[in-house]
Amino acid sequence: MGEGAAEEDDRAGKAPGPRESQRRLAQWVRDYRRLPGIPDEFLGADGAPRAVWGRFFDEFGTLAPDEIERRFGMADRHLREAGVTYRAPGDSADRPWSLSHLPLLIDEADWKQLSAGITQRAELLELVLRDIYGEGRLAAEGALPAAAIAGSPEYLRPVCGVPPPGGRYLSLYAADVGRGPDGRWWVLGDRTQAPSGAGYALENRLVLSRAFSDLYKSMNVPRVAPFFEAFRDSLRARADRDEPRIGVLSPGSFSETYFEHATLARYLGFLLVEGDDLAVSDDRVHIRTVAGLKRLDVLLRRVDSNSLDPLELDASSRLGVPGLIDVLRKDGVVIANMPGSGVLEARAMLGFLPALSRRLLGEELKMPHIATWWCGQRSARDEVLSRLDEVAIEGAYGRGVPGFESNGPVLASELDAAGRQRLTEAISARGMDYVGQEVVRLSTMPVWEQGQITPRPFVLRVFAAATPDGWAIMPGGFCRIAEQADARAVSMGDGARSADVWVISEKKVATASLLPATDKVRIRRIAGVLPSRAADNLFWLGRYLERAEATLRLVRALGSPSGPNKGTAASLQSAERIQRLLVAWGAISQASRATPGRITAEALQNAERFGSALSLVRAALRTATSLRERLSPDAWQVITEMAERLAVEVEDDDSVLSAAELTLQELASFAGLAQENMNRAAGWRFLDIGRRTERAINTARFARQFAYDEAGDEDLDILLTLVDSQITYRSRYLLAPILAPVRDLAVLDSYNPRSVAFQVATLNEHIAALPSLKEHGLIERPQRLALSVQAMLTTAEAEKLEVKSLFSLEQDLLGLAEAIGLHYFPHGPNASRPEKLTGLA
Amino acid sequence: MIYDIRHVTTYEYESAVSFARCTLRLEPKNGDGQQLISHQVEIRPRPAERHVRRDFFGTLTESIVIEVAHRNLRIDSRSRVLVSRKPPARDAASPAWESIRDIAFEATSLGPSSPVGYVFASPLVPVLRPVSAYAASSFAPGAGILAGAVDLMHRIHTEFRYDPKATVISTPLNEVFDKRHGVCQDFAHVMIAGLRGLGLPAAYVSGYLRTIPPAGQPRLQGADATHAWVSLWCGAELGWVDFDPTNDVMVANDHIVLAVARDFSDVSPVDGIIVGSPKQKLGVAVDVLLVE
Repeated sequence: MGEGAAEEDDRAGKAPGPRESQRRLAQWVRDYRRLPGIPDEFLGADGAPRAVWGRFFDEFGTLAPDEIERRFGMADRHLREAGVTYRAPGDSADRPWSLSHLPLLIDEADWKQLSAGITQRAELLELVLRDIYGEGRLAAEGALPAAAIAGSPEYLRPVCGVPPPGGRYLSLYAADVGRGPDGRWWVLGDRTQAPSGAGYALENRLVLSRAFSDLYKSMNVPRVAPFFEAFRDSLRARADRDEPRIGVLSPGSFSETYFEHATLARYLGFLLVEGDDLAVSDDRVHIRTVAGLKRLDVLLRRVDSNSLDPLELDASSRLGVPGLIDVLRKDGVVIANMPGSGVLEARAMLGFLPALSRRLLGEELKMPHIATWWCGQRSARDEVLSRLDEVAIEGAYGRGVPGFESNGPVLASELDAAGRQRLTEAISARGMDYVGQEVVRLSTMPVWEQGQITPRPFVLRVFAAATPDGWAIMPGGFCRIAEQADARAVSMGDGARSADVWVISEKKVATASLLPATDKVRIRRIAGVLPSRAADNLFWLGRYLERAEATLRLVRALGSPSGPNKGTAASLQSAERIQRLLVAWGAISQASRATPGRITAEALQNAERFGSALSLVRAALRTATSLRERLSPDAWQVITEMAERLAVEVEDDDSVLSAAELTLQELASFAGLAQENMNRAAGWRFLDIGRRTERAINTARFARQFAYDEAGDEDLDILLTLVDSQITYRSRYLLAPILAPVRDLAVLDSYNPRSVAFQVATLNEHIAALPSLKEHGLIERPQRLALSVQAMLTTAEAEKLEVKSLFSLEQDLLGLAEAIGLHYFPHGPNASRPEKLTGLA
Repeated sequence: MIYDIRHVTTYEYESAVSFARCTLRLEPKNGDGQQLISHQVEIRPRPAERHVRRDFFGTLTESIVIEVAHRNLRIDSRSRVLVSRKPPARDAASPAWESIRDIAFEATSLGPSSPVGYVFASPLVPVLRPVSAYAASSFAPGAGILAGAVDLMHRIHTEFRYDPKATVISTPLNEVFDKRHGVCQDFAHVMIAGLRGLGLPAAYVSGYLRTIPPAGQPRLQGADATHAWVSLWCGAELGWVDFDPTNDVMVANDHIVLAVARDFSDVSPVDGIIVGSPKQKLGVAVDVLLVE
């Protein structure tokens, strides 16, 4: 049989031919149950697939069913492995990202109109902000009620009259849109504060374009990379020096969308910073780094305005930087978007925009928005009250409906008599706090469910970035799919799925990526500055993982059949010593020593013991979470898998041992990844400093415990196992373990990569290579301590070592660890934080 | 009347403070029945930076940075102020409160004295149904705005217990309201919340009271510290009228205004952050002496 025939055969069995593909498309169309009276993206009013969807499904249908499932599985795996997560409000842990596997398709002509509408709106909103915080003519002349502005908690009085540094209020604008019954796109809401979702859109695109690379190519989908490039360049251009330092200001790893902050920082090449990392001095914002304070020029903020500065805004906020607003006033930092921009997210504004567009732009709004009546105005209030059952009631300014515990809109039709009464009274008494909005049935799009497609409402977020050449629109966007019929209530917190968005072009698209043209790039080998907090986290990541390794080695030594539990008096004593160490480290409780059978399992995976291997790996994972933008996906994956697997309860001693063994291998593979793949700039050094410091301390401690002055060969043997030096010892001495040579190997031998001396020598190399703050021109404390320990270890003789010198060595090493912390992370999370002055009551 | 005011704020820290960034709002208001004759603030240790600006509400705001290690911070403010105002009588005639509400809402200015900035909830003053309902019973339909406000002030004064130990700055308004106790700041916030609940424009006033009352009159509550009361916009003709719910009096010449804004968070006389000491002890001493 020739190759051609084989291919034919294969096709008949697996991949459907074009005819089969059409049959399946017809089947999908037949089974697709459109919601009555609601427009759909996939099928037109005539029940036939729209052109772009027909093209898509034609090609999609040529994939065999199990191939489709395989690719969907691949997409899900990519997401899981990349660790794409989000949090819903109130969650204590991250949730995995849920991607709907079919993209939303929009044809190019439709997209052009949508883009034009968004561009116009972005420009209008910029002008409105300029007036609100500047001259205030719109309010004075009655074009925009003063109350519609003053009522918003985002109307930031401290920045009134402060021109935005860099020249603009909005750098990134987003609109939530949906297709209305008339087939047009409608704006449902404006995002002017700190729009989220662009980073998730990017991840969705990366994953889906990889899983369906052929389909993606043949559909001519424009890439999103040029949009991000334009955005990055425009932020750069807004700073007042070349090569500016730009940070993504995040509330921290508990934030709902922290993953996205890290993604954006990594993708755009910005620093991921939190308020604590920044300090104000000399009318500028600085970032605390291991090399001292460094000026930061631009902040892309994901912290809400009111939390930005405890001195001038919300005093209870811990997310901001004291004095930040004053720097803004002195033109010392660009903040994107300008604090206060969120005032335009108020629904009270919506109704005034058509007139404002005529006034400020001299043109009609190109895109309608959802009909909105602000009840601050009598006529609108009367209208809403008379049609209470037909409209949805929303808060006029922020999230939630004042007086009602509802996240989404309040629907009068769903309230009981008392509830209706309360709603009517509330709107009559303080109408300005409420708006009525038309209930629009938005169009549906197909989602994949068990081999079939089903219609679901969705909301599309479209992003616009201000560039020197006008607004750039991201070709695509962030699409969220509702599980219920009213799509406006969709938020990521609801566990809703998201979808990639493909604009379908007739023509082939140019390939572009974020890689800049070569003539724009200056060769650089050191990747900028290392924030103190990142250094601190890297240091602790290294320490946690090393401590986990030491705990696992103790578990292995205790549980091993050739280990100390052999019943002899000497071996029982050794087992005692290991247990005491485990108690001292918090890996097991004192009480559980009564039931020796469970000790190893407890030290391995009892989550209530802070020193168990599981707890330590989890601590490492928490630390790593704050370092997302600095860790490779591989390294991240090793840690998450380790934490997941360690949490699976093991049954017997054997499985404890094999779990310990497996985890030790994973730790080794993480160490290998770091060693081989991490850039040797300062970040890697701090990870290694953490590891070396911890290993030096642990080894000194093991040596003190098992190579005490009268130690017998049983204990010495354990020490050799714990410090992984059995083979070296045996090849050198051909003898049963003897005190002085064992001590030499574990503590003093600088050729043994597990000895204390080796760790200290490495630490000295690291410290010498780190930036010096050169205060007073004196040798710095970490270096002084490390050098003096190294001198001691270099000159000591194994025969003359005593337990008390081992003890003082351990103390010196602990002192060194502390000195490193104080010196390089004086502003890290473990440092003293700013406190609020008590106010007067 | 001319007053000499001495307002000394001291902080004692448990451990050395290496850095402090503070905001001071200590200059008495100039205008609206007051004339500022002199004002100076002395700070120890001496700040590395001092600069002043007017904030949105027109309050003189001084920002200071201290970079030397210190265990004590002392902010000594001295002011001389001439006070001469003539408040309306408690039972003076005034427009119906509903008309005030509607006019205030239609204001086209966003400036600091525009009533429209004071009808909404603010950081420390939420609009709460029970508080609005409480206030509503002082405002019968068509009642004069002054009469309603005087009644509300009187009810708060009689139904709430003055208790300096009951609340701290972070005690939320609903708790103050439920337990019916607190200090001048709480009373002012409750009254403001009630007025705003009805759609009326109410502002927060921080300031001082004369220490020794005029002969034959009782010493007012709050005279040994900074004081707080309420300003209500009563229409174009009457303008802003001040009510002191802690003492159930219309504000006349015994009160000296420091600052007027939405609530305490906008006017805190001394505010700031420090690095180095989690524990601190605050002392405030106020003396208001009648010069002539």
